[in-house]
Amino acid sequence: MDEFLTIAAASKLIADKKLSPVELTQACIERVKQQDATLHAFILPTHERAMADARAAEARIMAGQSRGALDGIPIGHKDIYNTAGIRTTGHSRLLEHNVPDRDATVVRKWAEAGTVMMGKLSTHEFAMGGPSFDLPWPPARNPWNPEHFTAGSSSGTGAAVAAGFILGGTGSDTGGSIRGPAALCGIAGIKPTYGLVSRAGVLPLSFSMDHAGPMAWTVEDCALLLQSMAGHDAADPASADRSLPNFTADIAKGVKGLRIGVVRHFFETDNPVSPATLQGINHAVDVFEHLGADVRDATLSPLAEYHACGSIILTSEAYAIHEPWLKTRFNDYGELFRDRLAFGGFIRATDYVQALRRRRTLCEELKTAMAGFDILVSASQAAEAPLITEVPKWATMEKPSLTMPFNLTGYPAMSVCSGFGAGDLPICVQLIAKPFDESTLFKAGHAYETAMSTRERRPTLALQEAV
Amino acid sequence: MKPSISEAEFDLLAAQTGLPLNAAQKRTLYDAYWMLEGMIERVNQPMPLDREPAHTFNPEVR
Repeated sequence: MDEFLTIAAASKLIADKKLSPVELTQACIERVKQQDATLHAFILPTHERAMADARAAEARIMAGQSRGALDGIPIGHKDIYNTAGIRTTGHSRLLEHNVPDRDATVVRKWAEAGTVMMGKLSTHEFAMGGPSFDLPWPPARNPWNPEHFTAGSSSGTGAAVAAGFILGGTGSDTGGSIRGPAALCGIAGIKPTYGLVSRAGVLPLSFSMDHAGPMAWTVEDCALLLQSMAGHDAADPASADRSLPNFTADIAKGVKGLRIGVVRHFFETDNPVSPATLQGINHAVDVFEHLGADVRDATLSPLAEYHACGSIILTSEAYAIHEPWLKTRFNDYGELFRDRLAFGGFIRATDYVQALRRRRTLCEELKTAMAGFDILVSASQAAEAPLITEVPKWATMEKPSLTMPFNLTGYPAMSVCSGFGAGDLPICVQLIAKPFDESTLFKAGHAYETAMSTRERRPTLALQEAV
Repeated sequence: MKPSISEAEFDLLAAQTGLPLNAAQKRTLYDAYWMLEGMIERVNQPMPLDREPAHTFNPEVR
């Protein structure tokens, strides 16, 4: 089976008994065997488990007992999600032999939905430190060109989805770690509203900035995955106790009448993006206008204000988590993680508190700005993927992050592929909605994807290997 | 760009962290410290006295 399928398409074929979950899983495993020696998307493939899951799904479906849209769908988990009895390392030497005894809540929910677990996926060390070449496992590489970076930290998920190893996977996003790899790998990825998806059983980086979320080939697939991830969980102190909408119910209703704000200064002056990225965003704005949206510019504080505030909070909270190991096992961490995080020891308690106070001001600012809009548009990465060997150690400090504002404020934000730029590498656009309005975010993203033709094209590497 | 403090002053701060940094690691951090200083300066801009942090205490611990 050489065909690449979305979750939505595979799910329909499986439900119609025109596609066997076993055949689908075998095809994915075959791709992994052919290409993962190049891409390093997996830290630990679990092919026997996958085949067992697929056979169980097939038996259920043949017996008329399907568990729904995700039954029989091959997925993978970022290796910071605990998996009972299966090694969970955080891509770090410090947890090289760590085998949890319980699944993370999301892992359990996806298993209950009938997904096929293909394995554990590469990440930047503890969701922050890559791309690193001094860890027990190599960094994931970009399927559009393996010499190039995937972004991170959900690097393995981005690479695995783009290469067709899995149809969807888990990511986590503390400063952009879902939206970055989604952007550079040319897929879709959503950081949901803070509190919508449980983080219980996910290795923490920054308690007040961490978000769990899905990554997939299309916006619609992200909506299907989020449906099975979201929901209240008493095991997560930040979990929101509210009813869930059906994320795909209105996904095809279009953007006519939606009020869309373009935060132009973020990507034109605060962190100027590449020519192709800018062209892609402008084209997306044109598409939304053509589809009947009301598009205007929006203005917020400079990106550097959001970035500074988010970085101080993230670094302080991450340092608090890792300080015992940093003091006793400093050189067991990879160089990038330990050097970036060491700065946490130089931040005073008062700086952290001031950042929290400033955070409230910025949250209020965004709420006021969003009163006139349903969706905001910005960039999620400044340019096409750089060479993986040319990512600066201080990349996360040198320029203000385009994704950080929505970790800081907790607003839902999604990266959507907007075409291809220099080197024929993917470019992207970021869409943002109001808290707990993921449905509108999916509606806008799906309308844009449907109007474009970028979803028809798969990475050259994947196509070459599939012949 | 350079940090606002000398390398000797930075070494004192580094010692206070308790991290086992060697000379090369300290030098690496010192060279990048100006970026952290810039962020710290931004979050320390004046705010009204009653400006509460974004995280508020909730006695009903869940």
